[in-house]
Amino acid sequence: MPGLASDPDNSIVPFDPNPPTPIIYPIQINLKPPISRIHINWSRGNLLHVACLRPAGDSGEGLAGGKVVEVKLGGADDGEIGEAERRRIAYGSVPAFALLQSRRNSLMAMARMSAASFRNEWWEHVLEYSNQISDLLGRPKLPSGSVIEDPRMVLQLVEKPTSLKAAWQLLKIFYVDRLSSAWLPEHLVDWLADYDGLLSKTDTTIHSKLAGLQKKLVDLQVVEDDPEYWEGISLALAVGWLDIAVKLLRLHGSYQLDQIDSRETENGLVEAVAVLVSTMPRMRPDLPTGKLGQSYKTKSDFIKAWEKWRGHIAKLDFSTFWVQCGHHQTREGLKNLLQIMLGNIKNITNATYHWMELCISHLLYMRPFTMSLEGMHSLAQKCMQLKPNANSSGLTEVLLGILGDNTEVVLAECSRTFGPWLVTHATELLSTENDEADILLHEERYNLGGISIDELHRLVYAQVLSSHPLTWQIAPTYLASCPKQGLGLLENLLYRQPVQHFQMILKNLEICRLYELDDISSRVMKIAGMYNWKHGKKGFGVYWLQQAQDEVRLNKIAQRLFECIGKSVSDDSFKQWEGLIELLGSEVGSAGGLEFLHKYRDFKRSLQQVQDGRANDVARQTVESLIQLMKSPSTPQRFWLPLLHDSVKLLNWKDRPLLSVSETNLLMNKLQELSLAKLRPDFCDTELPPKAIGSVRLALATNLARAILEEP
Amino acid sequence: MDREVATLEKGSQMLQLELLRSEAGGGHGDGTASPSTDSLDSSSNSSFSRSSQWKAHESGVTNIVWVPPEFGDAIACICIDGTLSLWEEVEEDTQPLMWKQCKVFESASSGVLQVQFGGFATSLKLVAAYTDGHMKVYELMDPLQLNKWQLQAEFQNVIDSVCRYGKPSCISASLAWNPQRGESQKSSFVLGYNSDLSQFNSPKIWEFEEAHQRWLPVAELCSPGDGDDRVYAIGWAPNIGRPYEVIAVATCKGITIWHVGLTHESDGRLPTDKVALLEGHDGEVWQLEWDMSGMTLASTGGDQMVRLWQSDLNGVWHEQAALECVGGQQ
Repeated sequence: MPGLASDPDNSIVPFDPNPPTPIIYPIQINLKPPISRIHINWSRGNLLHVACLRPAGDSGEGLAGGKVVEVKLGGADDGEIGEAERRRIAYGSVPAFALLQSRRNSLMAMARMSAASFRNEWWEHVLEYSNQISDLLGRPKLPSGSVIEDPRMVLQLVEKPTSLKAAWQLLKIFYVDRLSSAWLPEHLVDWLADYDGLLSKTDTTIHSKLAGLQKKLVDLQVVEDDPEYWEGISLALAVGWLDIAVKLLRLHGSYQLDQIDSRETENGLVEAVAVLVSTMPRMRPDLPTGKLGQSYKTKSDFIKAWEKWRGHIAKLDFSTFWVQCGHHQTREGLKNLLQIMLGNIKNITNATYHWMELCISHLLYMRPFTMSLEGMHSLAQKCMQLKPNANSSGLTEVLLGILGDNTEVVLAECSRTFGPWLVTHATELLSTENDEADILLHEERYNLGGISIDELHRLVYAQVLSSHPLTWQIAPTYLASCPKQGLGLLENLLYRQPVQHFQMILKNLEICRLYELDDISSRVMKIAGMYNWKHGKKGFGVYWLQQAQDEVRLNKIAQRLFECIGKSVSDDSFKQWEGLIELLGSEVGSAGGLEFLHKYRDFKRSLQQVQDGRANDVARQTVESLIQLMKSPSTPQRFWLPLLHDSVKLLNWKDRPLLSVSETNLLMNKLQELSLAKLRPDFCDTELPPKAIGSVRLALATNLARAILEEP
Repeated sequence: MDREVATLEKGSQMLQLELLRSEAGGGHGDGTASPSTDSLDSSSNSSFSRSSQWKAHESGVTNIVWVPPEFGDAIACICIDGTLSLWEEVEEDTQPLMWKQCKVFESASSGVLQVQFGGFATSLKLVAAYTDGHMKVYELMDPLQLNKWQLQAEFQNVIDSVCRYGKPSCISASLAWNPQRGESQKSSFVLGYNSDLSQFNSPKIWEFEEAHQRWLPVAELCSPGDGDDRVYAIGWAPNIGRPYEVIAVATCKGITIWHVGLTHESDGRLPTDKVALLEGHDGEVWQLEWDMSGMTLASTGGDQMVRLWQSDLNGVWHEQAALECVGGQQ
């Protein structure tokens, strides 16, 4: 996928001007080496077919001459989300995306709207959209319905959240939730609570530590003797998971009934810390049930409570009760917790693993107010220096891009780690509040072929969608939202769809109709028509060619019918064409003179009856249709002679002359005309025996003579 | 990421896969051709099976090109001896599905090196490039039958038609039609040779001028000094709305990407701009294929690698990835 910008002079992104060496992907091919030749061909969307061939002369019985392998390109796939889930997300995000696009269009149409109210309304739509998408990516797990809570279950190990959702939430926090920007630090605390485990796959995180402790707790008899227990509490406290910290504290042995008398002071201290932890002031509108702390909406209230709370901590810190606490680990452990709450940098640093956790700890206990992006960025840099992580995950790279206020980096990281789905859907979030990003995303660039970055990402995503037979049908929604090249790609996509199945053709045509792609629609019908025509389904072929209004091909078909009829004196082959004539119907009458074919069919039928030996009146009827045929301007000239030749028996009718004098004259005139036409270069000769014209002439003359005698 | 979709016969020498109609065709050293049909169902598990095989020619088949689907399921076969034949799949009520030969183009003096179909908005055209540096444009007279062709033009791949050149001996020809299918589009194609006469080698874009019913060279894709370069492969990118065309040309120096303007300059030429020279394949480039959006170029070459090329946001072309085919025991 087109990714980072790479011109050092014009680019905002600092980067290495030497392009990175391309990654080489090995394709395992079940073919005995050597491989002599490789052929490639693009299949649907991003699928590339690679054919490897062995040398022709290489002997070896039973060995295949080559193999064809299908390679799927693009689309980051870290294996976190399965194919089916990916498709569910792809399908599920279509309605939200389409709704947002149509809302944008209708907002644009309202010309009189002031810029401010436009923004406001648009922002509300984007917020709704971002909520719909995040619901799609997985709803937050509700607390379990169990009445009896397991006191030792400190960490709810629910279904693993996905990085994709984590990234979406991160973008939402920074780009869409502007009403709550005052509570940004608390938003990040909540975000980390949900996704801490995703920060690193290999390095230790607080989440992984607590998960380990959880397993251990079940078997632990005296928890307060175990250093891991105290570490667990400090870790949970450091990143503001107060409920876990308090729950762990209450597992302390001094709470047990048989010990409460002997360890009264110790228990008092534990409880005092637990109370302090659970009453921590939080700068946020509310707290979800089950979460601890006291929420304050205004800064002044919060500061008052904050100072008071810290006063309590300091007071406890200097209390004389500590001397009476005989349990060493408890004393040290609790003191450490107090220092964390007081924002002691040393204790905080020790109680965190990942730099992001340290960052959150800073926001909680040292600088609990919203700061500028710049301020947060430098804080993040500082934390990274203190906690250098060997492996950076895509999530943290995205976060750094956001903090660095660099839309290009955010997009590139989203694309690199999470693939085209996220980029396509996230661009709407990025540009909502940020004019610079808006320009960056929507500016048309010559280098991209006159499209914007936004459109480029949609095209790329649509191409990924069209790689799979189950998802190509949603690609048009995204292509339709591309102002410049979307329909061009859609045409290419539709042109490449197979036409062997009727249902599939109907689906293609429906899409053509929806997006008014008349040209491609008639092309699809032509292809379907030709396919059926050449594969023995002549009727179906004609049907599709009629739908396509392909006069050129229909005329050619009509010509071929004429030829067949011209040849076919025998009725067997005529029957083959009869149905087709029926099908061609009157619609193409003007196009191919097919009106004639219908009359000709009727004539043939009655001629058949005459030959079967029916009565005079049938013979007379046949003559009438002959006359009509000969009079009709739609009858091709080259059929005159075959028609007359077929009717020789009628002309020589034994009982009485069937044709009147005038009728006979008409036929004789036609015959004369035909003789003259023979001299013209474009005359099309029939395959009748050379004597045919003579026998017709003789029969006509005989009939005329008899008719003259009979007529009064 | 990858999965096997087909196994090919022993002696397969070249292969054309075309998923346009989910079909693949193989040409064999022993002169047989075998298209395969992708048995497509709505699941993702499509696979190829050989639908038929027949002996197309006494000598080996060197190339197979599919005819546009508006004209049925048909292929053009080029044989080692330079004959060109057209085959189509037909099924009649009484007979089973079969491939039948519908046309053989014979030329006494020179053989066909390459053939491509195009310009099928109005009528199907066929360009055949010959070993003597000539090319012939044929037009299909009846869209229902692939046996009625009329020679529309015959000319050499040189800009200056007045000068007399020697007779080149061409090893291969690279040929690509403008893939645009629009009715309004003028028919045009680009052709370059791998020959011993430099004037014939450089790729030239030929455009059909309706008014005078003739083919005119409207652009030459070579920089000064590169005119001698033998052309190995050419790919004309699909244009889904760009204000310029993109054409990739492979020579011994590497793959060059050209931008070609859409409007003629006062001298009737199209403005051209060489935007990139891509090096990667050591040695000859075998094939250049653009994806459906014209954004990714895939190439194969003598280094037995498949390389994928893209332009970044600033229009700088670079190699995005490479695929290495690793054989293993069967």
